[in-house]
Amino acid sequence: MFSTGFKYFFGVTVLSVVALIMSVALFEKLALVGVAISFLIAVGALLAGLAAFTSDGTTRDANTSTSELVTQSMWPLISAVGVVFLALGLVTSSVVFFGGIVVLLAALSEWMVQAWSERASTDLSHNTAARKRLLNPIEFPVLAAVGLGVVIFSFSRIMLTVNKSTGAVLFIVAGALVLVAGTLFAIKPNLKRSVGAAVCVLGALGIVAGGVAGAVSGERVELVEAAAEGHFSHAECGPEESKYFDKLAEGTLSLRSNVSAIVVYQDGELIANVQGINSPQKSITVARSNPTNIVFRNATEGEFRLVAHLGHSVASDKTAAGESQDKSHQDTTCTQLVAPGAEQSMTFSIAKPSSAENAYYLYIAGSEDKKIEMVVP
Amino acid sequence: MSRSRFDNLLSTSIASVRVVLRKAFRSLVVFSGASAVFAGCAKNAPQDTWQPKGPNSKIIDDLQQPVFAVAGIIGLIVAVTVIYTLIKYRDRGQPIPEQTHGKPALEITLTIIPALILAVVAVFTFGAIFKLAKTDDTEMIINVTGQQWWWEYDYPVQNEFGITQPIITSGQLVMPVGTKVLLRETSRDVIHSYWIPALNGKRDAVPGRVQTLRLEADEPGIFAGQCTEFCGLSHANMRMEAVALSKEDFAKWVANQQAPYVSPAKDTLAKQGEEVFLNQCVRCHQVNGLARADGTPAIAAPDENVWSGAAPNLSHLMSRNTFAGAMFDLLSKQCRDEVWNAPSDVVGAKYLAGVTEECLNQKDLRAWLRNAPEVKPMYANPANLAVSNGKYRGMPYLALSEDDINKLVAYLVTLK
Repeated sequence: MFSTGFKYFFGVTVLSVVALIMSVALFEKLALVGVAISFLIAVGALLAGLAAFTSDGTTRDANTSTSELVTQSMWPLISAVGVVFLALGLVTSSVVFFGGIVVLLAALSEWMVQAWSERASTDLSHNTAARKRLLNPIEFPVLAAVGLGVVIFSFSRIMLTVNKSTGAVLFIVAGALVLVAGTLFAIKPNLKRSVGAAVCVLGALGIVAGGVAGAVSGERVELVEAAAEGHFSHAECGPEESKYFDKLAEGTLSLRSNVSAIVVYQDGELIANVQGINSPQKSITVARSNPTNIVFRNATEGEFRLVAHLGHSVASDKTAAGESQDKSHQDTTCTQLVAPGAEQSMTFSIAKPSSAENAYYLYIAGSEDKKIEMVVP
Repeated sequence: MSRSRFDNLLSTSIASVRVVLRKAFRSLVVFSGASAVFAGCAKNAPQDTWQPKGPNSKIIDDLQQPVFAVAGIIGLIVAVTVIYTLIKYRDRGQPIPEQTHGKPALEITLTIIPALILAVVAVFTFGAIFKLAKTDDTEMIINVTGQQWWWEYDYPVQNEFGITQPIITSGQLVMPVGTKVLLRETSRDVIHSYWIPALNGKRDAVPGRVQTLRLEADEPGIFAGQCTEFCGLSHANMRMEAVALSKEDFAKWVANQQAPYVSPAKDTLAKQGEEVFLNQCVRCHQVNGLARADGTPAIAAPDENVWSGAAPNLSHLMSRNTFAGAMFDLLSKQCRDEVWNAPSDVVGAKYLAGVTEECLNQKDLRAWLRNAPEVKPMYANPANLAVSNGKYRGMPYLALSEDDINKLVAYLVTLK
């Protein structure tokens, strides 16, 4: 008679054919959907044929009963958890939803292989070995990656919570502990495996517990305040107002090969050095509609920022009466305050050519007379 | 039909088919070999890598000539040995000779000899690489930007060459002879590669990066090139030409490029063409100095219409010899041949004459204006622009009437 596998795959194939017919009837263009369903039909038919031909690939001895349940299974329970996450994700967030899908797929795969392996033969040890041979190469790397990910994420929570000095001390202590444990394992090769495992598990649990505590306590104050200031958006091009925006500028740059010009502020003068042109320039050419990298080097004794004036744009503003009104805005971008002797890069793109009415220039914040013209041909 | 008769007929048929296939294979081998040999005799080969026209390409040529000779000799020895062995020891039913394994002396010798050859080649290759990478004695810079499927050149202000305001052009790179020109290459969309075989090797133009390539020409002339990094539908049509002019001629070219825009006279066909240009073409193409009827400058907005954010600047279009990414000539064939085949002492004067009405390649220019995507494959079908947010890659079909095309051609000819 027809095997269970055959009936299943035959059903899939028939349903796919129905889906294809409905798709042809309902949609004008099938494109990818048509290809996918056709592929499903082909694969379903192939598997149905294989299932019928091999009687579901059974290897059991026909004279031996295998109806006895060999082991308890936790996978139905985990599958149920996956379904719950899936349902919760539908009304909460996509992360929970996709988490549910991952849990469900993993549990179903494990369940399926377990069910198959328990009935592969009458030899229980053979069945267990068959399951391990199939799943261990997947389980071990995945579990190791997940475990490491949890430890690393927990450690990052700790480092974001404690202040900078404590963070450095913690890092040194953690590194030293890893070194000590590694040395111990190396010089005591006969150490019990359970001792090594216990040390690793305790270390990991400690980090995870610290991470949970860190997550509950939240990030340290200056990170929260800097994020609220828009520290990473480089939005402040005028006088210094924020507490953190200008305080973390790097002093040096690795950017060297893709620079359109190096702008130097020295002796009260702003000049541009362009590769291939020997003399300092007061005007540089910037390609239209293309990212341009400028390096600002502060060769003075004070702190200064370089501002790029990128023309004007019109945007709708709300008036006091609540009506929208078109208003011209100056488009700018800038570096942070650059310390004496330090440098910083700035990237921008200009879409329109320059003209008398539409001039672009670089200038030192606070003294717009120190400027370099940017010509966009 | 008896069984034995059927077998005889089958074996005879198979033998006949084998003979035909063998003859066809021999013909194919002879034809392929002859094609490869005779291809080397082509006279009209503007991208020939064996004819260097500048110091940089000569550095490459000096390296590749001996390497090619050595590789050729080794290749010949290997081929003759293999063919001799195949024929001499082919299977005639003789017994298999005694099998031996390993001859250390021979193996060591055959390892050391190639290693020595490669070491010698490496020494000269490194020398050539460092010479080609030198930029500190640059005399002139030109910014080169690639986009699908044309090259833009902009010349920053360089007073020593009379460039007092930036010059922007496309298709043809114009440079003075005997001058160390540094190209600063980048791209607005995908990776392209710039290659003028007569003047230097290749250099990729990569979005977000600036890569340099040195060019220098010994004598005035026009040198053809080709994008050598697959960059989409019309990669094969992304061509370029480098025009080397004497320093005097280059100064004249610079002066012409910086000359102010001259609007066509009133009540002429060209003036009507200017209006068509303002209504249609200026959406993407800039002509420096062109103003609308109310006097406001006509500023093109390719950033709103084209995926790369740029379209060729058409100022002084007729001072170039090509259009559409150098795929088509602006000059008719006869006039083009006169420029390309001119001796080096007069090629500059012929090039600077530009494109006159008599020499204009009306056929290709009109075909381009009539339906550009039909003559150059581009992503310009409005129905298929969802992936590029409705922006074109290339010039779209503009549905211009023949009347508008006449006006536009009359106008474009005035852009000297």
